[in-house]
Amino acid sequence: MHEPSNSTHQSRRDFLRRFSVWAAIGAGVLASISLLRQFIPRLTQYQRRFKIGRVNNFPVNTFTYMADRKLFVYRDHQGIKAVSAICTHLGCVIKKSDEGFQCPCHGSCFNDRGEVLSGAATKDLPWFELKKDVDGQIVVDLGRLVPPEEKLYL
Amino acid sequence: MSPGISDDNRKRLGRINRNFFLHIHANKVHPHSLKTGYTFGLGVILGFLFMVMILTGVVLMMNYTPSVERAYNSVKDIVFVVPGGRYIRNIHRWAAHGMVLVSFLHLIRVFFTGGYLAGRRLNWIIGVCILVVVLFMNFSGYLLPWDQLAFWAVTIGSNIAASFRELTDILGITQVLDIGGFIKKLLIGDETVGQAALSRFFMLHVIFLPVTLMVLTAVHLWRIRKDGGVSRPMEKTGGQGDNTRGEDKFFSWPVVMWAELAILLLTVAVLLVMAFLFDAPLRERANPDFAENPAKSPWYFLGIQELISYSAFAGGVIIPVLFLVFLISIPYMDREDRNMGTWFSGTAGRRLTWQSLGFSMLITLLFVFILVRYGWFRSWFPDIPQVIIMLFNPATLSALFYIIWAVWVRRRTGSSRMSAIALFTCTMTGFIIYTAIGIWFRGPNWEFYWSSSQWPVF
Repeated sequence: MHEPSNSTHQSRRDFLRRFSVWAAIGAGVLASISLLRQFIPRLTQYQRRFKIGRVNNFPVNTFTYMADRKLFVYRDHQGIKAVSAICTHLGCVIKKSDEGFQCPCHGSCFNDRGEVLSGAATKDLPWFELKKDVDGQIVVDLGRLVPPEEKLYL
Repeated sequence: MSPGISDDNRKRLGRINRNFFLHIHANKVHPHSLKTGYTFGLGVILGFLFMVMILTGVVLMMNYTPSVERAYNSVKDIVFVVPGGRYIRNIHRWAAHGMVLVSFLHLIRVFFTGGYLAGRRLNWIIGVCILVVVLFMNFSGYLLPWDQLAFWAVTIGSNIAASFRELTDILGITQVLDIGGFIKKLLIGDETVGQAALSRFFMLHVIFLPVTLMVLTAVHLWRIRKDGGVSRPMEKTGGQGDNTRGEDKFFSWPVVMWAELAILLLTVAVLLVMAFLFDAPLRERANPDFAENPAKSPWYFLGIQELISYSAFAGGVIIPVLFLVFLISIPYMDREDRNMGTWFSGTAGRRLTWQSLGFSMLITLLFVFILVRYGWFRSWFPDIPQVIIMLFNPATLSALFYIIWAVWVRRRTGSSRMSAIALFTCTMTGFIIYTAIGIWFRGPNWEFYWSSSQWPVF
C-alpha cells in the first residue's frame, strides 16, 4: 500500500509495516547465529597433555608404538623422544617400516627422523616436547613441537 | 482401452487432477517425453529408489543405535538376529549405491540431450545440488555401521575436508587461520572420528539430508512442470516447444501411470535380486588404532581419493570445486537453445563426443602412466616445494588439457554447445578413469597393482 506521491512523511501504518519486516529479519538472523553456533564443537575427547609412564617402561634403541595415544616413543641410552603416528597427509595411522615409517592409506614414507621420503604427504611428522613429572612419569605435550634431534635427557 | 480405465476424458483428467499425490503429473504429456531411449526413465528410477530408501531406512532405524558402543553390535543384530534384517539392509545398501549411479547417469542424460537449455537453467542447478546431497547422504550413511570400512572411509573423507591446510601451510598461516581444521571439526565434531561424528552423521543421514532432498526434489519436479514438461526439440514454427496441440498428447491417466508402474517394478526387481545375491559388507568392529590397508573411501569418492594422493588441496578442494563450478556454469556459457531435445544435438555432436572421449582417455591415461611408471616431481627433485606439485600434478594438468581442447573446439566450430560437450565429455571420462583406478588398481600403500591378486601378503 503506497501513500500518494505528494506525501513526504510516512504514515504510521507504513512505518509499522516496515518496522515489523526488519524486526522479523533481524530476529531471524540473530536466532540463526545463535543456533548455528551450536554446530561448532565445544566438547572434545582430545587431550593435549598426558602421561605415558616411566622411562624404564620403554625398551632401549627401539620405537615403541602407543596405540591409545597414536605415538611412537623412541628411547636410547641418553634420552627419550616421541613422534606422532598420524600421517600428515590424511590422518591414517602409520606403521613402522625398515627405513622409517610408512602410511597404509596413500603410501607416504617417512624416515626415522619423521621426514617425508616419498608419497602424498608433504609435511614431516611432528615431534612432541617431553617433560618429566614429579612422580617420574613422562608427560607428552601435543601442543609443543620440538626438532627431531631434541630429546628428554635422562 | 484397458479394463477399469474410463474412456471419458474428463474422468481421466480428474484422476490426475483431483489426487494430491498424482497431481505432480501434468494432465497430458507430450509423446516425446515418454520415449524410452530419450529419458531412460532415470529421474523416475531415482524417485522410486528414494522411496525404497525411506521405507527400508525407517525399518532399519528401529533396530539401530547410534552410539559408539552399540552401533556395530546393533547392525550385527540387524544382520544376524532380526528376521529379514539382512535382506532389508542389503536393499537399503544397493538402493543407496543405485541412487549415486543413477544420479550421475541422469546428469549425463540431461546434459547430452541439452536439458539445461531454454530457460531450464535453474532446474539444472537444482539437479546439481540434488547430486551433491545424494553423495553426502551416502557418505553419512557409510559411517553408521561403525566397522573398519566405515571408520577409515570417514576418517579419510573428513581429512579431505581438512585439505585446505595444504594451502594454509604453504602460506604459513595454519596456526592463525586453520580453515581446513575448522571445516573438519564442523563435520565430525572433534579432532578424530568418534561419538561426536557418529551423532552428527546420524542426524544428517536420517533427518537433515532426507528432508533437504525431499524439498529439492519437490522444487525439481515443480520446475519441470513450469518449464513445460521433459525437454524436447523445439519446432521450427513455435517457441518453447508447445507445438503439439492438446489432442496430440497422451493422457497421463493411464499412459504415464503404466510407464511408471513398469519402471517401479523393474527397479524393485533389480534391487531384490541384487540384495539376494550380494550382501552389504560388514567388517570387524572399528579400531581407531589400526588402519585398513589399503584404506579406501566409498567407491564414488575413490576418484577424488586418487587425486588427493597427488595433492590434498588440488585433489580435495580445487578439482571438485572447479568441477561443480563448471557444472553450474554450463547453462550460462551455452545458450544455444535450438540444440535442446536431441541426443548430442545431432551427428556432429555425437562425433565430437567420441573424439573427446578418446582425447580424454589418451591424456588422462598418459599422465597416470607417467606417474605410475616414472613417479612424479618429488621422486625426481626431492626438494621441490609443495606448491609446485599442488599446481602441476596429473589431475590439474589433465584438467588444463581438457580446457585447451574445449577452447579449441569452440574456435573450430564456433558453437558453445559443442565446446560444452567437449569439456563435459572430457571431465566425465577423466572422473570415471580416476574412479576406476581407485577402485581396482590401487592396493596396499596406495600402490599400483594390475589386480588385487598381486597384493602382497602381510
